[in-house]
Amino acid sequence: MDAPVVDVRALRKVYRVTERETGLAATFRSLVKRRYREVLAVDGITFHIDPGEVVGFLGPNGAGKTTTLKMLSGLLHPTGGEATVLGHVPWRRDGTFLRGMTLLMGNRSQLVWDIPAADSFLVLKEIYAIPDAQYRRTLDELTDLLELQPLLHKPVRGLSLGERMKVEFAAGLLHSPGVAFLDEPTLGLDISMQGRIRRFVAEYNQRSGATILLTSHYMDDVVALCRRVIVIHRGVLLYDGALADLAERMAPYKRITVTLRGAVGDLAAFGEVVTSNDNVATIHVPRAQAGDRTARLVRELGDQLADISVEDPPIEEVIDKVFASERPLAEATA
Amino acid sequence: MIRIYRQLLVAQIQAAAQYRIQALLWMLFSIIRPVIFLAAWTAVATAQGGSVGGYSASDFAAYYIALTLVNHLCIAWNSFEFEFEIRQGRLSPKLLRPLHPLHYSVVENLVFKITTLLPLCLVLVIVALTFNVRWAGEWWHLVIFVPSIILAAALSFMLGWVVATATFWLQRINTVNTLFQRTAFIFAGQIAPLALMPEWMQVVSYALPFAYILAVPAEILRGGVTLERCLLYLVGQAVWLGLTIIAFRFAWRAGLREYSAVGA
Amino acid sequence: MIRYLRMFRAFASSEFQFEMEYRGNFYLSILEMFLVIGTSIAAVLVMFQHTTTMNGWTLPQMIVLLGVYYMIQGGVNLVFSPSFERLMEHVRAGTLDFHLLKPVNVQFLVSTRHLRVVRAADLALGLAVVIFGLVQVGAEIGVGPAVLFVLSLLFGIMLVYSLLLGLVTLAFWFVRVENLLAIFWAFTEAGRFPVDVYPLWLRVSLSTIVPIGIAVTAPANVIAGRMDWIAVAVLGAGTVLAVGFASALWRWGLRSYTGASA
Repeated sequence: MDAPVVDVRALRKVYRVTERETGLAATFRSLVKRRYREVLAVDGITFHIDPGEVVGFLGPNGAGKTTTLKMLSGLLHPTGGEATVLGHVPWRRDGTFLRGMTLLMGNRSQLVWDIPAADSFLVLKEIYAIPDAQYRRTLDELTDLLELQPLLHKPVRGLSLGERMKVEFAAGLLHSPGVAFLDEPTLGLDISMQGRIRRFVAEYNQRSGATILLTSHYMDDVVALCRRVIVIHRGVLLYDGALADLAERMAPYKRITVTLRGAVGDLAAFGEVVTSNDNVATIHVPRAQAGDRTARLVRELGDQLADISVEDPPIEEVIDKVFASERPLAEATA
Repeated sequence: MIRIYRQLLVAQIQAAAQYRIQALLWMLFSIIRPVIFLAAWTAVATAQGGSVGGYSASDFAAYYIALTLVNHLCIAWNSFEFEFEIRQGRLSPKLLRPLHPLHYSVVENLVFKITTLLPLCLVLVIVALTFNVRWAGEWWHLVIFVPSIILAAALSFMLGWVVATATFWLQRINTVNTLFQRTAFIFAGQIAPLALMPEWMQVVSYALPFAYILAVPAEILRGGVTLERCLLYLVGQAVWLGLTIIAFRFAWRAGLREYSAVGA
Repeated sequence: MIRYLRMFRAFASSEFQFEMEYRGNFYLSILEMFLVIGTSIAAVLVMFQHTTTMNGWTLPQMIVLLGVYYMIQGGVNLVFSPSFERLMEHVRAGTLDFHLLKPVNVQFLVSTRHLRVVRAADLALGLAVVIFGLVQVGAEIGVGPAVLFVLSLLFGIMLVYSLLLGLVTLAFWFVRVENLLAIFWAFTEAGRFPVDVYPLWLRVSLSTIVPIGIAVTAPANVIAGRMDWIAVAVLGAGTVLAVGFASALWRWGLRSYTGASA
């Protein structure tokens, strides 16, 4: 059994924020005595990630996702707990560690805007001391995967948001890191670009075997890429396991939507009626009995039934329930 | 018009409150160069046994303190800001209103000078004490100084605006600004009182407008000129002011045509 | 060490390519510098119409001083100023993190990442002025003084660097440090005359707090034969202390930024 690539134990981060009221008197007071407020961003989380996994880190804004990533990439020192990534303590910032990992932040750019990406890449090549042959190989691969050819020699300033994202990705992966932390990688992109980025991440993980930890509040990112999710809310780890299992446990029902020719009557006999107006109704039925109930509906409504559809509950609903519970879910058996 | 100005003044005073610290710093900066040259000339005078060309160390002190005050009262920064304004698209809205954009900058200019005048005088007092200043003038020097400084400030302001209009054609007028700044550096009386410059340079100085902005009011304030010369100076200032205003009207009209041709 | 040199070369070449895109601006900047230096020399010439010495400085020595002034400005504005300007933007925009992710000493990155290559022309022009001053004297400079000159020049540039680094580090605590930097730049104006011309309090400040005075005057003194190797060694020791102190301040600031001290 390989050692985990990311090993986190009881990691904790408390921010000290200075409090200051407005006004001249308060400004003078604050010169003498500063008032602090302690903000608990991450409250003792524990998890491990094995090599090659693609794990999604889910949580609403302010949940502590970005803070955790910053600690794992060495940008922040934790207030308590331990963590190792690739066998190193991240905040010690060893050269080997820094060369082996990357952090991509969706809403922030590391490339210099006025010069073409290709020039920035050459600078990165020197910073990471990438040998010529390996550099050319990696660059070719990334150019291929991300369709960068037309973008490399234009100033970054002139690229659209989606194009810039692709080029930032390439910049972050140029040194072939073993671990990639992706913070909101599809933020602000249009649907088709989001899809392309997702396909790229999946392909990259396949080809290189790099371990990927990504945060997002777009469910589609997580559903497309991650078999395993870690849910975090208010700094507390609420769930760590397979996404499919999560849906099963939090929302063990299926959703049946019926459209009738006439007015909707009382459908309580078929299951839990969630919404009902005019001639459309939504019913939640236990998973195991979904087939049964569907058949019954078709039979008993007969030609009253204009349309019927059977779906899994939307993943957002599932996740919202996890957030709402605010207590860690008991570990499901593996 | 007076009502418009009053409103603009009120608005600008409020806006300027935001930039109190920057304004103070700008004021302090304008002192540094004259003080540096004053120190240098004092060293020169000392090396020559106390005075140079009729200027003792105390006279230099008076000249440079006067120069600092004049420089501050004549400061104009439109040649730098105009480019910025156009790029940010702030000119067009002003052009749509029935008030020449010039007036806004008049108010900004005045408010800066008024709000920083007192601190400046305080600092100048310190400089005066440090360098043993000696004032050489009569009461009527002070009287003549009033119209002189007004003419000088107006000339400096309008000259700055003439340079600013170059932005309509050149977009980046950095080099033009440098050219004007450096010419003023030599010929406006900063590097030396005009009387101490070689003959040919004095002739050039009096032919160019820069001396009428700085050196002339400074000498009047210091009290180093005769009555006849003072009056001649005033005429010189008025002439240059007139020329600059005419130049501005032409440049502005032509510039606006260029501006709207390009697509404001 | 070699690695750091290669990195620096990459920074410089990338910057140079960018500046070459705007060739017009590039040449205009050089022209402007000619203008600025030319008028400064004219100012000194006017002054020396009336005297042969100023505080013991002769005209050729003053010209050398002026040349050194522009060399030091050029050196600082070539690498450190543009890099530190970007640093302040990074701290404001939160993109400093990207520097922290790199396997390189952060102080090095932050001090040298960006250049304004055209300022190398300022350096060259300043050197030309220094040589012009030397020719006026008709002096021959032996190898020893030449080496001391270069050393004192480097020390001067590093002294100014340490002050800039210290000021810029304040951005970790007070986000808007531009005003402080503007004050600094205004004071550098004082470097155009030898520091002993100024009243005592100014002389002291220009040798310690804003060391532009000593940075410019020292190399000029070396050329004038007024500073021997012992004095240069003392200057060097002072420079090492200053840079060390500023670097320690920087490290402290960085630790506070990453929450290390918590």
